[in-house]
Amino acid sequence: MKGFTSSRPRLFVAASLTLILAACGSGGDSGSASGVEANSGAIKIGVLAPLSGDNANSGADVVNAAKLAADEINAAGGVLGRRIEVLPTDDGCDPQTGTAAAQKLLVSGIVGVAGGYCSGAAIPETAVLDPKGIPFIAAAATNPTLTDRGLGTVFRVVGRDDQQGPFAARFLASKVGAKKLAILHDNTTYAKGLAEQTRAGNDSLKLGMDVVYFDAITPGERDYNSALTKIKASGADTLYFSGYLAEAGLIVRQAKDLRLPLRLTGGDATNDPAVIRTAGPAAEGFIATTAPLPAFLPAAAGFTKAYTERFGGAPGPYSVYEYDAVRVLADAVARAGSTDPKKVVEALRATRHTGLTGEIAFDSKGDRQKALYVTAIVRDGQFVPHKKLDAAGNWVDG
Amino acid sequence: MQRWLQYTVNGLTTGSFYALVALGYTMVYGVIRLINFAHGEFFMIGAFIGWSVLSGLAGSGWPAGIVLGVGLLVSMVATGALGVIAARVAYQPLLRAPRLSILISALGLSLALQYSVEGVYGPGFESYPSVLRGRAFSIAGVGVTVSQLAIAAAAVALMVALHRFVQGTALGTAMRALAMDQDAARLMGIDVERVILLTFFIGTSLAAAAGFLSGVYYGQISFLMGFLLGLRAFTAAVLGGIGNIPGAMVGGFVIGLLESYAAGYGSGAWKDVAVFGVLIAVLVVRPSGIFGERVVERV
Repeated sequence: MKGFTSSRPRLFVAASLTLILAACGSGGDSGSASGVEANSGAIKIGVLAPLSGDNANSGADVVNAAKLAADEINAAGGVLGRRIEVLPTDDGCDPQTGTAAAQKLLVSGIVGVAGGYCSGAAIPETAVLDPKGIPFIAAAATNPTLTDRGLGTVFRVVGRDDQQGPFAARFLASKVGAKKLAILHDNTTYAKGLAEQTRAGNDSLKLGMDVVYFDAITPGERDYNSALTKIKASGADTLYFSGYLAEAGLIVRQAKDLRLPLRLTGGDATNDPAVIRTAGPAAEGFIATTAPLPAFLPAAAGFTKAYTERFGGAPGPYSVYEYDAVRVLADAVARAGSTDPKKVVEALRATRHTGLTGEIAFDSKGDRQKALYVTAIVRDGQFVPHKKLDAAGNWVDG
Repeated sequence: MQRWLQYTVNGLTTGSFYALVALGYTMVYGVIRLINFAHGEFFMIGAFIGWSVLSGLAGSGWPAGIVLGVGLLVSMVATGALGVIAARVAYQPLLRAPRLSILISALGLSLALQYSVEGVYGPGFESYPSVLRGRAFSIAGVGVTVSQLAIAAAAVALMVALHRFVQGTALGTAMRALAMDQDAARLMGIDVERVILLTFFIGTSLAAAAGFLSGVYYGQISFLMGFLLGLRAFTAAVLGGIGNIPGAMVGGFVIGLLESYAAGYGSGAWKDVAVFGVLIAVLVVRPSGIFGERVVERV
């Protein structure tokens, strides 16, 4: 070839080598500098939540709570002398986007994830993070499979649907007086799981309700009149919708338009003001089984005030769980004395933390011991506390 | 029987939306032989522009009828104008290019419109203000709402107006001439480019009307709502005979009813299987559709 003996290419090669060496050299310097930095830079916590799609507002609510928690921790001196940095990442409430988001966070060098709203996305995300030993603290994903797989790095501050389902069944049978129940889900991991758990709860607790309808709608359709007409024909007196808030608003509205003689109820993902906005006056009397809202938690008064001041608007149902999840993770890092994932996971297992949502400790599967479910009802255009179980197992107000 | 009647009422309502959107597909195909994949997005844009208008007028104290009328009109005209701009920018330069180029341009336009709306309005869904919270009443045990009647009436009125326009006016005749033979139309002194843009204006404004009405009816809009509806409306247009205007209207109602019965008697999951199965069957067995003419290629 012509080039190798003439002087220009040699000059070019020499210049390139010089540049490469210089880059390596400075890279090396900044390598060691960033090595020092890495031990004193920010501690990164990933927050995986849906920031696009129908659940975007709930996801944003979770991210806001995480930022609030991080800022309060930093204002108090941070953890191990370092700042906490929150990395909000969109998981789109679907497995593909979630997996990509989890991988992106892995590359960013997080110490753990506090987040997870849609179980259908959270489960694949833990499959990405667990092999690297990165802990995942779920703040809103309630499907039992998340912790049932025994991954060892997955923890949960919110309850599980195999607690919510039987709770819902008990509530519907005893307080709503349902005799013929229609259960509607949307085929997502969460909704189908909750629907099945509710039906199973009815059977195992021998509550005696007749499940006359058990089927799914397709999310995003917007028109659920056919399913509702079938439910009407089934003779049901109560409907329990275990899906998400976008469809719930539409279903409540369409059920009222079809003049269905049903009591309308829903799972914890329907506990959202957007349901009331979509359904309008038709939402009056709608009951949701839910984790307690911040407004009903006495310990959360300061949090609610700080949230409203900073972000405007009331905090959503999962914001307190996310706040607690971030705090629990930071607390575990502090107790572990390092950001080594193994040590953090060890420390997480030994958690005894008092959060906004009460005492937090994890059982052997990583689930929260003593998770609480209550019910909320729509009165005058807002969700307010309805009935809950007291320690003796009786239904009381609030 | 009651169930069947209820499914029929529901099907005719959703059929109104499909019919209005199918008209746009069929008219554009008629004049330039393009399947406008971006058409469903104009349905969505009409819904969003209508939402902005209704939100803006929410505190004005005007009566509900006036507010809705203004919303409908503004959304139709604005989306129609947008449709003309889109046609001018994305389609007109490609009319003499290979067929594939304009199809790809349509796909790209569809995505560009979706994500522009997401950029402007945000990724979540929006709720229409409860302006027309129509009374619901029962006829023979079948639930019907005032909104459903109003939508069916509006859709039929728009379709009748379109039919009169296409059959009775000079511009409408020009559109029909263009659909028959573009070169002969040009020889007759018709300004082909202007008529094409007019076709886009009418087609997209009808889709916008459907979008606005569907926003009022369902109460919820999101930037992805146009995609699947566009595909179903396209099926309706093909079923009725693509290029045939009464065909699109009939096709829309047929698809609406089919969907309703499939979801009601079968299961929600099979609804789309039924609708798109029909699309495949029509293309295989009778590609010219119900009302389409068999066009003989004269060599």
